[in-house]
Amino acid sequence: MILVRNRLKGMNNPPESAAASATNVSKIYGHDDSEVRALDDVTIQFEKGHFSAIMGPSGSGKSTLMHCMAGLDSLTTGSVSINGIDLGGLSDKALTQLRREQIGFIFQAFNLIPTLNAKENIVLPLSLGGLKGDASWIENVIDAIGLRDRLEHRPSELSGGQQQRVAVARALASKPAIIFADEPTGNLDSKTGGEVLGFMRRAVTDLGQTIVMVTHDAVAASYADRIVFLKDGKIAGEMFEPTPDRVLDYLKHLGE
Amino acid sequence: MLRLSLKMTLARKGRLFLTSLAIILGTGFLAGTYIFSDTLNSTFDRLFSDVFKDVDAYVRSSSFVEAEFGGEQRGSAPISALETVLSVPGVKDAAPDVQGYARIIGKDGKPIGADNGPPTFGGIASASVAGLWNIEEGRLPVGPTEMVMDKATAKAGKFALGDTVRINAQSGSREFAMVGIVNYGDVSSPGGATFALFDQPTASEFLLKPGFVDAFLVQGDGTVSDEQLTSAINAALSPADKLETITGAQITQETQDQIGAVLSFLTLFLTAFSFIALGIGCFVIYNVFSITTAQRLKENALLRAIGANKRQVVVAMMVEALIIGLLGSALGFLSGIGLSRGLSAMLNAFGIELPTTGLTIQTNRIVLTMIVGTVITILSAILPALRAGRVPPLAALRDTALENVGSVKRRVTIGVVAMLLGAGAITATAAGASNILLGIGVLLVFAGVLIIGPGIAKPVALSLGRPIEKLRGVTGAMARQNAARNPKRTARTAAPVLIGVALVTAMTVFAASVRSEVRTAIGDQFQGDYIVSSANRQFGGLAPSLAPELAAIPGVAQATGLGFTSVNLDGSGKFVLIIDPATASGLITFNMVQGDQSKLSANGILVSDTRALAKGWTIGSTIDVAMVDGTKKIVTVEGTFASSGFGGSYVVNRAFFEGTLNNLFDTNIYIRLVDGANSDQVYDALFGATTDKGLGTLQSRDEFIDAESGQINQILGLIYGLLGLSIIIAIVGIVITLLLSVFERRREIGLLRAIGMTRSQVRTTVRWESVITSMFGAIVGVVLGVVMGFVLILILADSGASAFSLPIAGTIWILVLSFIVGVLAAVYPARRATKVDIMQSIATT
Ligand SMILES: Nc1ncnc2c1ncn2[C@@H]1O[C@H](COP(=O)(O)OP(=O)(O)O)[C@@H](O)[C@H]1O
Ligand SMILES: [Mg+2]
Repeated sequence: MILVRNRLKGMNNPPESAAASATNVSKIYGHDDSEVRALDDVTIQFEKGHFSAIMGPSGSGKSTLMHCMAGLDSLTTGSVSINGIDLGGLSDKALTQLRREQIGFIFQAFNLIPTLNAKENIVLPLSLGGLKGDASWIENVIDAIGLRDRLEHRPSELSGGQQQRVAVARALASKPAIIFADEPTGNLDSKTGGEVLGFMRRAVTDLGQTIVMVTHDAVAASYADRIVFLKDGKIAGEMFEPTPDRVLDYLKHLGE
Repeated sequence: MLRLSLKMTLARKGRLFLTSLAIILGTGFLAGTYIFSDTLNSTFDRLFSDVFKDVDAYVRSSSFVEAEFGGEQRGSAPISALETVLSVPGVKDAAPDVQGYARIIGKDGKPIGADNGPPTFGGIASASVAGLWNIEEGRLPVGPTEMVMDKATAKAGKFALGDTVRINAQSGSREFAMVGIVNYGDVSSPGGATFALFDQPTASEFLLKPGFVDAFLVQGDGTVSDEQLTSAINAALSPADKLETITGAQITQETQDQIGAVLSFLTLFLTAFSFIALGIGCFVIYNVFSITTAQRLKENALLRAIGANKRQVVVAMMVEALIIGLLGSALGFLSGIGLSRGLSAMLNAFGIELPTTGLTIQTNRIVLTMIVGTVITILSAILPALRAGRVPPLAALRDTALENVGSVKRRVTIGVVAMLLGAGAITATAAGASNILLGIGVLLVFAGVLIIGPGIAKPVALSLGRPIEKLRGVTGAMARQNAARNPKRTARTAAPVLIGVALVTAMTVFAASVRSEVRTAIGDQFQGDYIVSSANRQFGGLAPSLAPELAAIPGVAQATGLGFTSVNLDGSGKFVLIIDPATASGLITFNMVQGDQSKLSANGILVSDTRALAKGWTIGSTIDVAMVDGTKKIVTVEGTFASSGFGGSYVVNRAFFEGTLNNLFDTNIYIRLVDGANSDQVYDALFGATTDKGLGTLQSRDEFIDAESGQINQILGLIYGLLGLSIIIAIVGIVITLLLSVFERRREIGLLRAIGMTRSQVRTTVRWESVITSMFGAIVGVVLGVVMGFVLILILADSGASAFSLPIAGTIWILVLSFIVGVLAAVYPARRATKVDIMQSIATT
């Protein structure tokens, strides 16, 4: 019931600007002979309330794109904005605050602070900002990940899948404008991976959140509404309403 | 494998340097102590071989009294014996010599030189070639109103020929005309001492006793050896004069030895502190190696997997320890050169002025420092290295290095047993066992606490962190958890702080208790309105004639002097207090158990009740006494008094010394004003007769009590200063541990930064972890220190446990400073933590 209401609320919002957008972004690592062009003039937008996936061969620039859009890495040229805020020219402090309040993160591994329990990890970005957050929202999230009986446990006492679910809950806790996930299921077996992906899907569909996920797994990508393909640091194509078979086909074609 | 481990060690230069720092500071202190005392020794050795350079034989009184606290007081030689000495064949010339106390008063009215600095001598300037002095300017002094002084003092005091100079000595305060400036061979003033010189009759009368000198300096004509000359003089001397002759070499050696004995005490004192610093350095090294062992689990497991055997892994660690030990001690020795200057400056600041010229660096000291430093480093690294060797080839690959605390119960049991054994040993000392047992006891108690440490580190760190968590929210919570997550590491890091704080606290408690004991004792013993005191302790003081002079000032009702000297009492040298019973009553009050202090006769003695009990003396017992000049007397016990924890155990009448050659100085003169006297006026008159002439310090009773009880603060300050280096090593220990922890947790820090932790929050987390760690050490240290201070008082104070007083403010200061130490230690590691590269730490490879 609550989930439905939230979803309606999300739908009633007038369509605003994109949750995140990159304009003519290039990223060059190293210099002179050892120069690597990880991103080459990329322009892309991620809409609010969508679950997007970024795919591409290894080394195609997926992670770099994500890091640049999330304000973790600097751009060589171009601009990035989150929820309408241009990241260029923001101080380290302002950027940190933006990450804390507007962006959620889910990494492939080592997502949680080992000295804090699950609950403390979930509310960590809020606590760091000295905020309490929306208590009922947080309760919803906790119920949704189904780990209410594990809240007092430290990460070392949780399974890999449970740890990733806690990480997803943390990313959601502050109701960020956008969540970036870099191969969130890369370390999980397909069953637990499926659980985590299903939960991310519900977060978008039922809770109205926005997620951008990097993955190289066609099945994982098929949970998304839209897939962006990268190759050699450039956008190589897009696919909406993907299925695993179509994705595999496309990748084969992309590899040629 | 050797080349590999060398390479691995050198690859981590930063860590290598920091780890070495612990050893550099420890060995630096040791080397500094060595260099300082060697320099001091050689300065004095050179000084005295200069002094006696031209002396072939030395004639002096054969009777002397060993002073209770080292050194000796010797009788005098009648000037009449000079004729006899001069008549001995082989003697070219002989000069009478006096080494008395004479304080030159500067043109500003202040005495020249420090009270407990280099001695202020009075002596004889004569034309004899055997004399020590050469005229540089003017002429020799003749008659009772002329003097000359050494060139350095003349320069320092801006004195010129023809000046009138005031000089205070045993026979009072007089003015002289300065007629010359003298040189001491090629030295203008040996060792910072000041010299006021007179003709022989004036020197004898003003400084000693008319007709007597301290010695004759004899120069041979070169026809016989010094030994032959010495025995010829000995044979010629009249037995009645009680004189002996030794060679110039012997008197040089004897003087050097006497000074050496005093200096060796100082060296021992400093060495003790340098070993404390080294011990704390040991802990830091042990901690660093333990942490690196845990952090290098992967590396070592890999080495084992690719075929290195246990021994090779251990050797690799030991090579690193060897490099750190050698490097650290070498740099330590170099820094010791600077530190020796620092020590000299520090002792100076605390009123111990010692002349040092040049720098004496002995090769064997370099070798010793290197050996001590290297051996200590290697010993500290053995346990962690063995642990590294035990890493199985397929060790679990972990992200953070955890060290097992093992059974807490076993730890606490062993620790408590060690502490109980230690407490037992200390109690035995209190009951009279040897002091070695005290040392063992203290070490055992420390060991016990350090063994228990890791067992209690977690709960203590958690509860210390609770208020920080309340105050600081999530950063505080993380600091708290970080401090508690690795109890062994936290305990080991806190250990140096613990040891340092325990020692500082024990000293503070002890000093506070002694201070309050001294206050009560002085307050009880001395009444009156004003006190003139001299800071001289072993050499010189106020002329005995001063007290009657002050008593004669209008408005002064009563003035009495308290003097001291050494006599041979019941077979050994003893320090005795001298009073004038007639004028003392009501001003100096001994807490009499039996007898009446005011009825002390010329041949009577008052003895402390503890001494009387030990010796079985009662009223009427007789005691044999010998004076410095060999005069033998028998005194009768006329009273016993309660020991007061300070002051002497024996009190005699000034009249007792009538007609003997004992040096008599007063240390203090106690003054009572006439009731209703104009105290300002009387004070001015008293001031004019004393402090204004450079004669002691005039103080009210309260001022005096404050000053006396405050003297312990000087010693305390010196001890604080010497413990300072240990505290710095403890800080270095915290810095290294935090750096290693930051390095180890860089992924965690990167993650935190990614999800929104600001740089200043990262700093806060590291800072509070550091504070929790240092406060853990400080709180346990304070508790231990208070207990140790209590035990010290129990053992050392005359009035026992009742003297114990807890210095609340001092203890709070120690805790506040430990807090600051924690904050300071975190500065650099926290900065490093904020520089952690987010991208690198979240990279998924
Ligand atoms: N810190 C870096 N320094 C140099 N080159 C880098 C760095 N990070 C990524 N690269 C290079 O940039 C390219 C894109 O990397 P990345 O975004 O990690 O690819 P993906 O995530 O798609 O596998 C690769 O060629 C990689 O080697
Ligand atoms: Mg990647």
